Amino acid sequence: MVNYLIVIFAVTLIYFASAERLATYVRLIAVQGLMLCGIAVLELKEVNLINLLFIVAETLFFKAMILPYLLNRILRRSGVTRVHRQAMPGFYLLLLSIAGLFISVSLATILVNPFINTIYLAISLFTLYTGLLLIVTHQLILSHLIGFLVVENAVFFFSLAMGSEMPMFINIGLLLDLFVGALILGFFGLKLKPHTNELTMLKD
Amino acid sequence: MLLFFFIGSVLLSASILLSPGRLVTRVLSLVFSALLIALTVYAWIHQGKTELAYFTFDSTAVLLLSVLALLTVPTLYHGFKYTRRDNLKTYNIYHSALTALITFMAGAYLANTMTVLWIFVEATTLAVAVLIYHDRTEIALEATWKYIFICSTGIALAYLGILFLGFIYGTGEAPNLSFSSFSLVIAGADPLYLKIAFVFVVVGFSTKMGLFPMHTVTIDAHSVAPPPVSALISTALMNVGFLAIFRIYTLFSTTSILPFMNHVLVLAGVMSLLIAAGYMLKAKHLKRMLAYSSFENMGLVAIALGIGGNGYYAALLLIVLHSLAKSSLFYQMGQLSEILHTFRLDETGRYLQLYPAGGTVLITGMITILAIPPSGMFIPELMIFNTMVINGQWFVLVLSLILLTFVVYAMSTRIMHISFSSPRNCRDIRLPGTVNPAETISQFILLGMVIMICFYQPPFLAELIGKSVALLPK
Repeated sequence: MVNYLIVIFAVTLIYFASAERLATYVRLIAVQGLMLCGIAVLELKEVNLINLLFIVAETLFFKAMILPYLLNRILRRSGVTRVHRQAMPGFYLLLLSIAGLFISVSLATILVNPFINTIYLAISLFTLYTGLLLIVTHQLILSHLIGFLVVENAVFFFSLAMGSEMPMFINIGLLLDLFVGALILGFFGLKLKPHTNELTMLKD
Repeated sequence: MLLFFFIGSVLLSASILLSPGRLVTRVLSLVFSALLIALTVYAWIHQGKTELAYFTFDSTAVLLLSVLALLTVPTLYHGFKYTRRDNLKTYNIYHSALTALITFMAGAYLANTMTVLWIFVEATTLAVAVLIYHDRTEIALEATWKYIFICSTGIALAYLGILFLGFIYGTGEAPNLSFSSFSLVIAGADPLYLKIAFVFVVVGFSTKMGLFPMHTVTIDAHSVAPPPVSALISTALMNVGFLAIFRIYTLFSTTSILPFMNHVLVLAGVMSLLIAAGYMLKAKHLKRMLAYSSFENMGLVAIALGIGGNGYYAALLLIVLHSLAKSSLFYQMGQLSEILHTFRLDETGRYLQLYPAGGTVLITGMITILAIPPSGMFIPELMIFNTMVINGQWFVLVLSLILLTFVVYAMSTRIMHISFSSPRNCRDIRLPGTVNPAETISQFILLGMVIMICFYQPPFLAELIGKSVALLPK
């Protein structure tokens, strides 16, 4: 069952590469939150109950509900619906994404470790790659934010791989989530003006 | 003591935020600086002691904590001056965030585990964000957003590096990845995992150290933040990033990946020098030029670590001296903007005539930061080049010297223009402001200390640096 969830998680990453509507990105972030919740429930059987409940609450409410809600609010406020016209076309992104998947799987095969499942390692590397790809190839700061959330999911996914052995890592991953919450609430939700789509004032 | 410091700092920061008046805020800020100085003295006396399980007063931590304590009083003083026209709410937010930032940096210096260090580094980002946004302008907002975004990405990458370290452990035996317990298992670790962890940690923490490849964030932040804040984040906060990388480097230096780490650091250092030199030649904003100068110095520090030998000692000495020299220049930038009302190079000039004390600081600061004798920074830079000659690293040596020549040219021509020439562009004619020359005293003291090191290195400093690099290969 866990493997199915991981595969769905990987599919959302490929979908990220081909999507061009920001609302789709937000839905994919919500789906990733749900998948991470499912994986946490099924995988972290040895973690104590309170910690597990906390992790489930964090993934289900924060990642799958609150973050998408905030992002939707920001989208409505900014009036931006599509990625920047100068962003790399979806087709090329898709090719890069598939290449990234192959590279991630190859790397994970090389990095065999008795303490980590190779599938976890491969998908978390792929998630990291996708997040960085979104940041690098897109010009809109909203896309950058989505890219950062994907990177953050990569970190959480990676920490889940070790969760049973070292739950402390997940707790710190949660801290990173709260940090992201402050980031979005503090700056996108409240401070950045609706028309602010690109930041170009600070240049040499 | 440490518990007392952390509780005291939290209470003071909260009290400053809710303070009913400026005088109360000032008194509370000074109480905080006294608390930090007391902690530093305590750390000197109790070197090697571990407190609250996660913090140790080791030599590197004591060294950097001392630099922080030294810079705190002038930073507060210049901060009081800078914020005097703000309304009470903004005034209190600034000083509360500054107190929090200094506390987080102290925590990061003293952390003896990777995860606790990471948490404190993450916390500094939020405090710095509040301080960069202090002026509430569009440009401040942009700089703040960029700072938070890039730092967050960097922090996430650094955390991936920590997770890779976790995989080396594999079990919950050492759940917090303390540096001392890690050193026991490092010999048996898979070198590939160590290499990946090192690269992630260097890239992640380079956001704080201001090193290639994540350097852009520091340039924008340092140029937009209020000058006293720039002074602190361009020195003490960069030292936090350096410390994180230095800790991991020290830990891994006993393994087979030492040559790999050295190559990575030399590459990052040379790239930093290259980019800094290029942008300094076209810099038209004084604070951006100083930010690139910090970037250049961190590049030199990375090279010093990467070449090994005496480079280790030189790296730590350079970190300390750069902190003193660069902070005094940034404090001076605050006064320069009071006098000339601008940071734009074209609109500045005749500064020595308008404000002789400030002009003298600027010229002395230029000489010290460019490591021109009698600057103390000449000593570590000479050690670095001497080590390169001993190692036969001629390519890095020649390239570094050429790039540093560009840096010297770019900075000296700009500072000379500000000091002696007339402004090129006088569209916005405003009467020069006034600043009491006595306000430059702290800058002269800091620069005087840097110059003194050229002639005399206090034994306690040499001993502390010697202990910090003792674990590294000879």
